[in-house]
Amino acid sequence: MRPPAEAISALALVVGAIALLIFIGVEGALIYAVLRYRSSRLPAGRPARFERNTRLEIAWTALPAIVLAVVFVLMLGTMAEIGGGGVEPGLRVRVAGHQWWWEFSYGPVTTANEMHIPIGTAVDLDLTSADVIHSFWVPELGGKSDMLPGTTNHLRLFARRAGIYEGQCSEFCGVEHAWMRIRVVAESQADFDRWLAAQGRPAATRGGDGERIFLANICVNCHTIRGTAAAGAAGPDLTHVGARATLGAGVLPSDVARMRAWIADPQQYKPGALMPRVPLSDPELDALAAYLVSLK
Amino acid sequence: MTAIPLWVRRPAGERVGWLRTVDHKEIGVLYIGMGVAFFAVGGLEALLLRAQLATPESRLVDPLTYDQAFTVHGVTMILLAIVPLLVGFANYLVPLMIGAPDVAYPRLNALSFWLSLVGGIILYFSFLAGGAPDTGWFSYAPLAERSFAPGPGVDYYILGLAVNGAGTIIGAINLTVTILLMRCPGMAISRVPLFVWMTLVTTILILGAYPALTAALVMLFVDRQLGGHFFDPAGGGQAVLWQHLFWFFGHPEVYIMVLPAMGMISEIIPVFSGKPIFGYRFVAGSSVAIAFLSFGVWAHHMFAVGLGEMENAIFSATSMLIAVPTGVKIFNWIATMVGGRIRLTTPMLFAIGFIAMFVIGGLSGVSLAVVPIDLAVTDSYYVVAHLHYVLFGGTMLGVFAGGYYWFPKMTGRLLDEGLGKLHFWATFAGFNLTFLPQHWLGAVGMPRRVFTYAASTGWGPLNLVSTIGAAILAVAMVIFAVNLVRSLRSGEVAGDDPWDAFTLEWATSSPPPPENFPVTPAVSGRRPLWDRKHPELRDPS
Amino acid sequence: MSETGFIPGERIPPALSVSLARSAKIGQDRTLLGVAVFIASESVFFLAIVLAYLAYRDAGLVTAKANLDVPRTAIFSVALFSSSATTALAARRASRGWLVATIALGTVFLVGQGSEYARLLASGIGPGRELFGTTFFTLTGLHGLHVLVGLVALFALLAAHIRRPSALRPVAFEAVGLYWHFVDAVWVVVFSVVYLGTLL
Repeated sequence: MRPPAEAISALALVVGAIALLIFIGVEGALIYAVLRYRSSRLPAGRPARFERNTRLEIAWTALPAIVLAVVFVLMLGTMAEIGGGGVEPGLRVRVAGHQWWWEFSYGPVTTANEMHIPIGTAVDLDLTSADVIHSFWVPELGGKSDMLPGTTNHLRLFARRAGIYEGQCSEFCGVEHAWMRIRVVAESQADFDRWLAAQGRPAATRGGDGERIFLANICVNCHTIRGTAAAGAAGPDLTHVGARATLGAGVLPSDVARMRAWIADPQQYKPGALMPRVPLSDPELDALAAYLVSLK
Repeated sequence: MTAIPLWVRRPAGERVGWLRTVDHKEIGVLYIGMGVAFFAVGGLEALLLRAQLATPESRLVDPLTYDQAFTVHGVTMILLAIVPLLVGFANYLVPLMIGAPDVAYPRLNALSFWLSLVGGIILYFSFLAGGAPDTGWFSYAPLAERSFAPGPGVDYYILGLAVNGAGTIIGAINLTVTILLMRCPGMAISRVPLFVWMTLVTTILILGAYPALTAALVMLFVDRQLGGHFFDPAGGGQAVLWQHLFWFFGHPEVYIMVLPAMGMISEIIPVFSGKPIFGYRFVAGSSVAIAFLSFGVWAHHMFAVGLGEMENAIFSATSMLIAVPTGVKIFNWIATMVGGRIRLTTPMLFAIGFIAMFVIGGLSGVSLAVVPIDLAVTDSYYVVAHLHYVLFGGTMLGVFAGGYYWFPKMTGRLLDEGLGKLHFWATFAGFNLTFLPQHWLGAVGMPRRVFTYAASTGWGPLNLVSTIGAAILAVAMVIFAVNLVRSLRSGEVAGDDPWDAFTLEWATSSPPPPENFPVTPAVSGRRPLWDRKHPELRDPS
Repeated sequence: MSETGFIPGERIPPALSVSLARSAKIGQDRTLLGVAVFIASESVFFLAIVLAYLAYRDAGLVTAKANLDVPRTAIFSVALFSSSATTALAARRASRGWLVATIALGTVFLVGQGSEYARLLASGIGPGRELFGTTFFTLTGLHGLHVLVGLVALFALLAAHIRRPSALRPVAFEAVGLYWHFVDAVWVVVFSVVYLGTLL
């Protein structure tokens, strides 16, 4: 099948071409009328006296209607195509929008903010929201769909080539709407399978100082790290947070130093985010940041 | 020169002052003054937004302030600037154009104005009372519910819009009755100036659309203040219900904001082309068609909500259909110019600018009616660009055209043509520089209502261009302000009929006396003043 | 006087001077037409609220069936419906007595609605209690508010009539009457949707 984004682009190209023709025609007529009938360019005399022509009126009512009918028919074709066109998806991912991060569930495996998909496969998203309305949009992979609390919407993605595709929430959802970015990693089926298997395993690092600090603080109220006692559900799953490229749904690139800075004061980077500042000593911060980044 | 009084020629002591006036002309001027003031405020808010977006990851404005700024910018421009400006012109001009001494209910007219203004003041009072609304002008639930917007901002939004809306509804009743019952002898409905026609259609749109907004506001109030669940998914409510009600108001609102401006240029283009309007009946009739269709297109704001393929296709069809009567208007305006003797005065320049820019807004509007394209670019800067081509490139250029055209009637003085042309070209350049690049930004993925964007997106340069355009636009508005002030004080004296115009408002003095016409006029055609000036060329009746 | 001022009566083709809205009485009188236009606009308002009620009807039906007192409300509704007749009589004869009767019937209706509210609130059902409470109190409350406004208008009319009957234009009775009929008609819809709807 053709990726939905390509189908939309193709339609947009046709509609854009028609619009361009109309634009040139109408603006051209306007400019012609102004230049041709400027009084300063005309010999003295009276303006013409014609003020109605029913045939002309019918023509310029019917002609646009016909053009629009053609556009409408083209549109129906594209709608059927991007709706799935009867092709069963190769993968289904459940996506929940939260103020201001994304939750991706591949069956029992849950991750956040960065989703992986296999290339050459139709991927269907089941979209919902945990709080307010969000909207899922990765322009190069498909159209967008709003995510409403209490409702599940569906959106089809398709990536032809491996690579990283970026998008972000496009329905205003509160103060950090701008930093609710989506990172989609499209990769070969084998890479994807490896990634999914890795994501399914419990935490990679066990028993260190960082883990002890994590479990002893309020972190556990909101975050889950599978394999430990931390099972909060209000914030992103951190079981493999070290494998993700960014922090705070795109606000910072991920490494130990930035992880430390982020934990030390999330509000500095994402004012209004629901993650509070946790009072920790410097050594504690060092250990915690190192631990989290080690969760590959 | 300064011996000529600027507002209303009345014997000393007869004026009751701006606070107590019930004269439709003075109330019209009050409305226009309100619109101009809020337009300036909304413009400053827009500059703040553009300043923040000029560079990626900017920290000039904090996110909360940014959200408040774009929310009040939208509400201000739509409900406190554009609508009052258009209602103000209608208030001033409709009785004059139909040969009436005033509107049907002069005291109710004053009430309408004051309610509209108080609504705006309530909205702005929120800044002093714990925070302005920050949920966007269409304030989607559940974001606007108390659990996600605990501050008082949304409550001020509800109250301000409800009061402002009550004023607008009462004003619409008044103008409807005025147009239906107060036309002078001979002024058949098929002869009223097109501005009056489009005002009538607009008032009917207001009467049908605003109550849906009021109903939605009441429900949101019940949810926020009485613990109700209309839009609260946790309590079984539907977030989508708000959207249906809001856009049932919101889309006709677009035509409420565009039709009167179309009416203005339908007066201006014929006068400066020296020809009657081409296809009067079609220009008037297409307005009725637009009004009728505009109540059946609201869900095109909701294609991404997931209403279903069938629903989307139906609303797409009605939305495309509305382009047909809109196109009819554009073709008739151009046909009016063809064969004429065009005087490129400032009002005419702005009127031509309206057509040129509105065509772009109209075409991008059709593209948004195409469901898959909408799914790609809805809620992006493409929509921001589109709506500004309609409301600024369209309506505001039309309002400027009307302003330059009727200012001499209202004040007795002409606005300066040199400054006017400078104003036009600076506006034209600044406007396109601001909004043209936004089509591209939206198409490549920049959502609307973001207080910043990652540097890695590459959206920086076009945003900078857009901000530079906004600065030029601001300079253009300063030129306009200078022109206004200078011309009020020492502009050229206009006389009754400075443009060699067609319609009744130019048949009385500038400004008109309190009773408008010394004797009730009687007309026998669509261009009564023209017929009188050129009896040998009068229109066949 | 303007140099281009018009002379009254200048060549009016009689057929064309007849305007769109001059056939019926509502179409001729400013006050009546204004009230009619207002009512048309108000209808959209109530339509929106009624549609919201219907959208959530199923979710609230169990609570509605268990708690609404249909026969009792039907009796109070008869009071409101018959007040449409009394207001028509008041308008036809510019009669103070029928005006008082209308006010009395309207008040009876409001008292009935008030007691219904008191009973529901006492059993713990308020506007915050489930979708039924939210939609029921919003719809009936907004209607009750309109009845109240109508009563104020009727009182004002009565007061003006007592003070100086001759100063009152007959159309004032008709205008208030028109609004009162509207309030009545809305209740026909609300009563059917909310109360009779529980019997289905």
